[in-house]
Amino acid sequence: MPILGRRDKTPLGVYIHVPFCRSKCQYCDFYSLTTKDDRLIDRFVDAICAHIRETGPLAPGYRVDTVYFGGGTPSYFGADGMATILSAIRRAFDVTSDAEITFEANPDSVSDKLLHRLRGEGFNRVSLGVQTDNDDLLRRLGRPHNYAQVLTAVQRIRRAGYKNLSLDLMYGLPGQTLAAWQETLVHVLNLAPEHMSCYALKVEPGTPLYDYKELCNIPNDDVQADMYLSAVEILKDHGYRQYEISNFARKGMVSRHNLKYWMGGEYLGFGPDASSDFAGKRFSVVRDLQAYIDGIKRHGPVLREVQEIPARERAGEYLMTRLRTTAGIRKDEYENLFLLPFEPLEASLNRCKDHALATRTPDGGWRLTPEGFLVSNSIISDLLLIQDQTTPFARRR
Amino acid sequence: MTDLSKIRNFSIIAHIDHGKSTLADRLLEICGAVDSREMADQILDSMDLERERGITIKARAVQLSYLADDGETYDLNLIDTPGHVDFHYEVSRSLAACEGAVLVVDASQGVEAQTLANTYLAADAGLEIVPVINKIDLPSARPQEVKAEIEDILAIPAEDAPEISAKNGINIRAVLERIVRDVPPPKGDREAPLRALIFDSQYDSYRGVIVYVRVMEGTVRPGMEIRMMATGAVYRAVEVGTMNPLGLTPRDSLGAGEVGYITASIKTVSDTRVGDTVTGAEHPAKEPLPGYRAVQPMVFSGIYPADGAKYQDLREALEKLKLNDASMRYEPESSLALGFGFRCGFLGLLHMEIIQERLEREYNLDLITTAPNVVYRVTKLNGETVMVDNPLDYPDPMEIQLAEEPFVKASLIAPQEYVGSIMDLCTSRRGEFKNMVYLDERRVELHYEMPLNEIIYDFFDALKSRTRGYGSLDYELIGYRPSRLVKLDILLNGDLVDALSFILFADNAYPRARKICEKLKENIPRAQFEIPVQAAIGGKIIARETIKALRKDVLAKCYGGDITRKKKLLEKQKEGKKRMRTFGTVSVPSEAFMAVLKLDDD
Repeated sequence: MPILGRRDKTPLGVYIHVPFCRSKCQYCDFYSLTTKDDRLIDRFVDAICAHIRETGPLAPGYRVDTVYFGGGTPSYFGADGMATILSAIRRAFDVTSDAEITFEANPDSVSDKLLHRLRGEGFNRVSLGVQTDNDDLLRRLGRPHNYAQVLTAVQRIRRAGYKNLSLDLMYGLPGQTLAAWQETLVHVLNLAPEHMSCYALKVEPGTPLYDYKELCNIPNDDVQADMYLSAVEILKDHGYRQYEISNFARKGMVSRHNLKYWMGGEYLGFGPDASSDFAGKRFSVVRDLQAYIDGIKRHGPVLREVQEIPARERAGEYLMTRLRTTAGIRKDEYENLFLLPFEPLEASLNRCKDHALATRTPDGGWRLTPEGFLVSNSIISDLLLIQDQTTPFARRR
Repeated sequence: MTDLSKIRNFSIIAHIDHGKSTLADRLLEICGAVDSREMADQILDSMDLERERGITIKARAVQLSYLADDGETYDLNLIDTPGHVDFHYEVSRSLAACEGAVLVVDASQGVEAQTLANTYLAADAGLEIVPVINKIDLPSARPQEVKAEIEDILAIPAEDAPEISAKNGINIRAVLERIVRDVPPPKGDREAPLRALIFDSQYDSYRGVIVYVRVMEGTVRPGMEIRMMATGAVYRAVEVGTMNPLGLTPRDSLGAGEVGYITASIKTVSDTRVGDTVTGAEHPAKEPLPGYRAVQPMVFSGIYPADGAKYQDLREALEKLKLNDASMRYEPESSLALGFGFRCGFLGLLHMEIIQERLEREYNLDLITTAPNVVYRVTKLNGETVMVDNPLDYPDPMEIQLAEEPFVKASLIAPQEYVGSIMDLCTSRRGEFKNMVYLDERRVELHYEMPLNEIIYDFFDALKSRTRGYGSLDYELIGYRPSRLVKLDILLNGDLVDALSFILFADNAYPRARKICEKLKENIPRAQFEIPVQAAIGGKIIARETIKALRKDVLAKCYGGDITRKKKLLEKQKEGKKRMRTFGTVSVPSEAFMAVLKLDDD
């Protein structure tokens, strides 16, 4: 009976944002600090644990089946803090015994000691930032490690008993050619990870790279598109199935936590700049460590952008996030969830199909092809427009 | 009624930007008509758009009470005139209501095309011309040379012309004294049958149309039955009076020589055409005043709401604008590509732009407009003659015996160093050179006869850029001439976009087709698939461009915190698409239509 009782509960993901890094990468626009002062870290741990403790009772009907420590660089932040925070999560929430518990790591900060300690605490998945095998590029991107350290890190992770390893790569890097990218990918796949994420470099305003992006010979859109399509091909040949625009996994090894973002699952985020989608609302934590610590201490507000998402908007989110995945969208599901007609969307999807941008899924739904993923913003905005125009009783501007 | 000897009726004429409206403001100020605190700049131009563009669109009139140096008080009726070539006819009617004209000439620019054109108009109307040199405060002012120019070119004595700065209020009284001294007082028998010249009218939602008139003969009083001699409409006058800068002042009567207004519960300005004669219904005049003609729109364009659901709003807006603008014409039309809209006729390109802007601004409409075209005259093999103001109505080439297009006589004035490039421009626009006159040692006036169609696109802009802004243009219609015309069609992804079809001179078809295809390629965003852009004449493709398929438009990362951001981005993209028109499978933003309208010269 208790087992059944647990299964009745709604799955919930917990995300922990660890805002500390050894150094800032040139392209990164995540919230993180390069100061690592022990007192600040203690206060951060206290604050986030208090935040978790206070939030837990608000989610009695939920079981936590995924936990994700991102950042920042959790491995650099250290095992003690992470262990403390994970314990707080276990105390405040109903964490299932088979929960997927991931932490992000950089090759320069994974010691055997840290890996063993965290494995002992229940962490069972590591997402390692590799980005490229080219040391020169790693240096230019401001990464705090070289490729040799990647090899060592992977060995240590495996030795410590992690059966689920994900490697992050980037393409479209300064000066990178299609051939160089293909070689990098094949080279990295020799490390036999269970999971791969391949991201196009996106030059975000406010990052150092943004200021000199014209000068560093970033491959154009056409080349990047070719890089992407060839990556999908190579990964498929190596036995990795694409399940999202930028994510690939061996059978059964998809990131259950990340899927929640795209499949409409619920998650709670803790730590500065962490985001949540919980009980019909989307909200984010302030993007400022000190404000977060002070806010928690004084029981003041630490959230920003709290938005109740109406059903109509959820219908848009459904198209937006589900079409990132190979699970795609389904007529019956869409019509039942949002009480909106699916047929008008189908005309547009059929046109995409004619141009090999979309395809039918075995269960009668629709998904985008890799070529379709490449222009997914354009496809999705078309669908959103059709959705607007065919929503019954829609308010006229 | 004011004694005739104490009335002066005058206009101010000038080239655009020579300071006509500013001078009017100063005259008002000096006559105490307006407290300077109450006066927004350029009170005569009361439409926002007029003020922003610095041009006067609709003529207005105002009565000033001026205590002159001779100790007498005069009623000075200032009739403002529109300053653009599109409104040629309105200007001529305003001038016909006056005995004199103040000619404002910029002290640094000197005599320009519209100075000439307007002076000739005023002289033809038999007006006494009072030259005034404006902007003498500018460092580049050269009043003596400009006076000499006026004497040489216009043959008007200008030696003692007042040198003023309307902007800084310098020497304005001298202008008023000159008006009193030089402009003859009006004549006219106040007992004769009524003849009053309509020089403007304006719709007011409380009183109906306010008809602005100059009484030439007889007297008009409230309660009197009046008839518009050209339109035949009969009304009972409700109120007569004079125009003050800040409103209307009712009077018992308006007699010969006076300028004022009549209201008669008139519902539309189309009954009160500019140039028409108002007479008494009981004792009508035998003859109307000379010079009336029905104004014909010369430029036509399709106007469509960007959002098809706004068709009714657009119709209501056009109805309201029409109340106040008898020269605009519109009728419903529909396009496969653009849905329901209106084919509208305008006096010229500026008039068209003004109407479009008013629709967008005052009525908050997003519009798509099709390329403007002139009215073609086509004689079919069966002898039937049709006037074509819509490219879609252009007959099949096999049925055409003779195609004709309207021609204008154009006068261009510029410093002589630009003669070469003006000639190149006019030749490229099928201009036929008539003659060239040296106005002085610096400036030249060129006369060309050319198709109106060549002027309505971007001729004026091209002239300005080739003459660094010094060139000026005036033109008038001289009739239809045979021409070799073709209809050019545009296809997107193989589908004909009817709204982009237009008629043009056969020899221009290739270059223009190429340019249009290029412009469309630049302005239509890449789609998920390749889009061929083709131009065709009678089914034969003569130009082609390809809009390549979009290769990459994707957000690589989208985790918890990115979703809100991504949503905003996609919503924005969606809103952008909402403003586009879909033709078959291709979405076209309204900028693409505008780009086709404004093909550059180079």
